[in-house]
Amino acid sequence: MSMDANRTGLLEGVLAAVNLGAIVVDGDCRIVLWNRWMERYTGVPASETIGRDFFSLHEDLRGKRIDSAITQALRSNFPSVLSQTLNKSPFPLYADAAARSRDERMQQALAVTPVDVAGAGRHCLIQISDVSIAVGREKLLRDQAMVLRSQTFSDGLTGIANRRHFDVAIDKELRRAKRYGNALSLLMIDIDHFKPYNDHYGHQQGDQCLIKVASALSGMLQRSTDLLARYGGEEFAIILPDTDAQAAHMLAETVRARVIALDLPHDQSPGRLVTVSVGIATMNASDQYDVPGLINAADRALYAAKRAGRNCVQAHVTTPA
Amino acid sequence: MITLNELQHDALVEIFNIGVGQAAASMSGIVNEEVTMSVPSISFLNRAEAAQLLGGKNKLDQLQRICGVSQHYEGAFQTEAILMFPEDKSLEIVRLMVGESVPLAELTEMEQEAMSEIGNIILNSCVGTLANLFQRELQGSLPVYHVGTSEEILSASGSASDSVVLMLHIDFILEMHQIHGYVAFILDVSALHDLKEQINLYLDKVMGQG
Repeated sequence: MSMDANRTGLLEGVLAAVNLGAIVVDGDCRIVLWNRWMERYTGVPASETIGRDFFSLHEDLRGKRIDSAITQALRSNFPSVLSQTLNKSPFPLYADAAARSRDERMQQALAVTPVDVAGAGRHCLIQISDVSIAVGREKLLRDQAMVLRSQTFSDGLTGIANRRHFDVAIDKELRRAKRYGNALSLLMIDIDHFKPYNDHYGHQQGDQCLIKVASALSGMLQRSTDLLARYGGEEFAIILPDTDAQAAHMLAETVRARVIALDLPHDQSPGRLVTVSVGIATMNASDQYDVPGLINAADRALYAAKRAGRNCVQAHVTTPA
Repeated sequence: MITLNELQHDALVEIFNIGVGQAAASMSGIVNEEVTMSVPSISFLNRAEAAQLLGGKNKLDQLQRICGVSQHYEGAFQTEAILMFPEDKSLEIVRLMVGESVPLAELTEMEQEAMSEIGNIILNSCVGTLANLFQRELQGSLPVYHVGTSEEILSASGSASDSVVLMLHIDFILEMHQIHGYVAFILDVSALHDLKEQINLYLDKVMGQG
């Protein structure tokens, strides 16, 4: 009897001391254990959680992956892991008061395992570990790799993103837009009458013209997520995440005006200045675009702008099937 | 080697398709994108054949690195279940699931963890359907992540080399990318006979209802 009592005391001591969050729920999903680590990082004492339904305490987790992991542990006896990468910080755990005030949750990795308790049926143990350090280290690694990569991702002449960079970025942004249901706009910008410009002024001045236009456009982008790329010879593209058709149109008009303001003489052009035509395509949450579809739509809008007399902006209107 | 007749074979393929269908639904829930998975075929192999199937025909290909996530299950029967993809495919899957591209040639620690979770979802679903077939419960270990040649991964479980491998071919489709991989169940001969028996019971039941 006293051996048992000692043992219980020992286990309680260990559970309180481990550097790991431990929650145990019974077969009805009521919390029966909430260790000291949980008290410390949630700020909620065990006395307020014991006996309560797990999901009444964590309404936002109902129906999420942890819900099915608990069900699987209790019903099928299978354990589950929930990685930080695929399940962003499910529990409201904060490293300290400062993190709490910034609402910056601890990075978490979870293991959900069935535990058979003699005489009390099957329970489920949720273990939570703090993986913030590993996540931080990987972010650093990733950032450095991106810097290295960007060197092979820039256009040799203008210094802006090259076509390869554009291809990777448009793919990433389209998927992100679909995943979060955000709008995404794409501008295709082409310098008007560029071939006659090259023929008349020579290729070196043609290159200077490209550099000046690229530099003017890149100076206009405010957000780090916007990307200006050299798409082809005298064609540029701007990827605008979280940007609806109206905002994209405003930016396109500003782009057009900015190029005129450069005041680059072009004797072979009706307006005697270097101008651009701009085509816009916008994907809204309800659209089912893929990457070629979006680029195609922007391209068609650009041709429409060319046909409409150049030095103007056209948006693609109809939603493709 | 055990052989299944066409009916038994088809029944088992159907059962596993239900299992990976559930796994695909769970994964769709995580990424908010449609994930489709199917099991086009299954085969029974010995371990050497299984290693060859994964590695490829020539010697050089067999040194190709494979990414594996394994879980040990026991109860009605005992098995080591392993989800396997060529390493470059596992990079593709994880990065598609995570939605971010990392310009690194190997899975980072956090990505390995994500791969373990993907393996965990798929293996639990496949073994869950087997457990349903046996109408018995199984206990499972937490997933373990491995990288190595196919032979190294198949032998990591420490199972005898005369054991049988039930190999599932798995097609995984996310965002127009189709990725082919495998789930191997390493079984001993008695477990295999039990399995065949359970398939017959299942067929009797299904036919009886029909």
